[in-house]
Amino acid sequence: MKKTVGFVTRHLFLAFLVVVWLIPILWLVVTSFSGYRGINTAHFFPETWSLDNYKALFLEPDSVVQYVVWFRNTLVIAIFTCIISTIFVLMVSYTMSCLRFKGRKGLMSFGIILNMFPGVLSMIAVYFVMKSIGLTNSHLGMIIVYSAGSGLGYLITKGFMDTISVSLREAARLEGASEAKIFLRIIIPLSKPMIVYTVINSFLVPWGDFVLAKLMLNSGIATDWTIAIGLFNMLGKSLINKYFSIFCAGGVIVSIPISILFVLMQKFYVEGVTGGSVKG
Amino acid sequence: MNKLKSIGNYFKDFGTAIVKGDIWVKLSLFIMGAGYIARKQVINGLIMIALQAVFAVMCVFYAAPNLAKFGTLGTVQFEQVFDPLTLISTVNDYDNSFLILLNSIISLFIIVAFILVYIANVKTVYRLQRNKEEGLHINTFREDIKALFNEKFHITLLTLPCIGVVLMNIIPILVLVAIAFTNYDQQHMPPSALFTWVGFKNFKSLFTTSVTVTFGYSFGKVLVWTLEWAFLATFTTFIGGILMAQFINNKNTKWPKMWRTLFMVAIAVPQFVTLLLVRNFFADSGIVNTICANIGLTDFLKDVGLVSEHLTYIPFLTNPSWAKVMIVIINIWVGIPYQMLVATGVLMNIPTDQIESARIDGANRLQIFVKITMPYVLFITGPSLITDFVKNINNFNVIYLLTQDVYVTQDQLLANSHAKEIDLLVTWLFRLTNEYYNYKMASVIGILVFIICAAFTLVTFTQMIKGNREEDFQ
Repeated sequence: MKKTVGFVTRHLFLAFLVVVWLIPILWLVVTSFSGYRGINTAHFFPETWSLDNYKALFLEPDSVVQYVVWFRNTLVIAIFTCIISTIFVLMVSYTMSCLRFKGRKGLMSFGIILNMFPGVLSMIAVYFVMKSIGLTNSHLGMIIVYSAGSGLGYLITKGFMDTISVSLREAARLEGASEAKIFLRIIIPLSKPMIVYTVINSFLVPWGDFVLAKLMLNSGIATDWTIAIGLFNMLGKSLINKYFSIFCAGGVIVSIPISILFVLMQKFYVEGVTGGSVKG
Repeated sequence: MNKLKSIGNYFKDFGTAIVKGDIWVKLSLFIMGAGYIARKQVINGLIMIALQAVFAVMCVFYAAPNLAKFGTLGTVQFEQVFDPLTLISTVNDYDNSFLILLNSIISLFIIVAFILVYIANVKTVYRLQRNKEEGLHINTFREDIKALFNEKFHITLLTLPCIGVVLMNIIPILVLVAIAFTNYDQQHMPPSALFTWVGFKNFKSLFTTSVTVTFGYSFGKVLVWTLEWAFLATFTTFIGGILMAQFINNKNTKWPKMWRTLFMVAIAVPQFVTLLLVRNFFADSGIVNTICANIGLTDFLKDVGLVSEHLTYIPFLTNPSWAKVMIVIINIWVGIPYQMLVATGVLMNIPTDQIESARIDGANRLQIFVKITMPYVLFITGPSLITDFVKNINNFNVIYLLTQDVYVTQDQLLANSHAKEIDLLVTWLFRLTNEYYNYKMASVIGILVFIICAAFTLVTFTQMIKGNREEDFQ
């Protein structure tokens, strides 16, 4: 008897927590199907249901809503960012993990320290550097901003490469393979899980970033924006009553691909946080 | 000590190369390629000569004009003359203080890099001379290229990432530091106005409070809240995450995977969407307030005195104390699933034999948790806890997205320096630049945040070095 009570309370408690965690998400989804454009402050569920918000999102672009364009912008930025970042991270990790040269330790420490300084702080200066070479309000500029410093995030991938047996590389060297060949033919194929992690991780950056994009894409022209800024803009004081449920629809659509990638990545997430010290 | 020695050796080698080098090495001091050409490395020699020429041109046309004005940051004011006859307005050859500053820093960077190349060049040329004297093989150009993919592969791999880091991390940081010593603000905005060096004036005004300058007051308040917030945000989510992971992983809990996935849904939605949504959820005239009013919670809180009498709603995100509490709670909502993920991973690797033997010795569940589980988890995640703390000091998203456009400060002293009670140093910095163009003060705040973060990161860093066993698994 006591056991059943414990079992039931335990699961009721968990269910309660899940409800707390999911209520805002549920509100997002139901509001996106609301027939009323502003915020419904009286009822949790909308009074009239419709697909108009999704229609407005995709078929009726105006000066505020350019969802398809935003999606394309963000996608392009994300793809290039992810390619460049992944290449940089792999190059730096291989160098730090497998090659031995003078100043390696010093460079590594310097990189780690530099990476710990949050980017938010120097962003004004980044903005000015980009502005003086004319790359603000350009997607090329955004790609550079997101990917140029990515080599600093090498630590996790390096930790992974450290676990690849050194005898593999030695054997290849005896066969006469150059370092470049060892890198391309042996280490990269063996690092596939880490590459997946890096690819997804860097792909997600432009989708979630708000502050840098807001600073860099400041022209006020909706077609320049990424999704994050576009959606933020809809909630400005003068627009919110006309666009709130469209914002919700936009939020739902952008969440679908992002959450799939996130779930794919979550098994690497633990290792990322603990610096690979969990070696099961 | 070791470091000093290696720096000493660096210059000693350079000296030896000059003293003992033959005529070609000495000639290389003036024409960088000479030593190579003498050893039949013609292409290397030509590349060096070209490099030197490019550097000379850069110095004359780029570095020199900018560095000459670096001391004053420009003296020629922007002037526009409109000619009524031709209807064309002409602009004079004005100085742009910001570009002078930026270009000077880049020039200094290039000059330092060139000096390093220059020294390395002389040393290499001397080594070539030694090789020749000893009858050793001297690489052909083709062999040098090959070496870039072999024993010098690190140079090939690191060049591009390093350039990226210099451009996007190091130069911006240097510019930021430089601006803190200037009077760059809304009254001194290039190109229409000049700005100049002011020494430590900005640092002084950050610590003064007077009738007109209230930065000292605001800085104190914002700093205290930033540290409070970072501490609360880190520990609540950390402890919460471990407890939640424990609870779900407990063998009495059915379907652990399903529960975990349900919590994951909440964080799989991009943060800016959920935060903006939650902000409207708790708005003064929002849905939560409607519900609270309907069930009588608002009136109850009024009776208790937690909500002031003249309000008809609960000021979740508009009253300083309420907003602070709400921000921490919302952050718990955002943060616990992440921490739960991490804690789950760590807990799965916990050595079970210890727990087993403790249980046999008669330890109860709480004792096991406090004496075995927690120390183990802390040992593994300790360093990341400090990293989290630093991340929270700079947690721009949560604060900005929850309170921007919503929260208005009533404190006149804070408002004078454009700060709010719920601001972190970084959000304050962002507002100062993005809305008020007060770059000088923003830079000073930036530097101070740097120092605070550096103090904490150094602690982590020494820990990481200690635990650095990179070759254990190879």
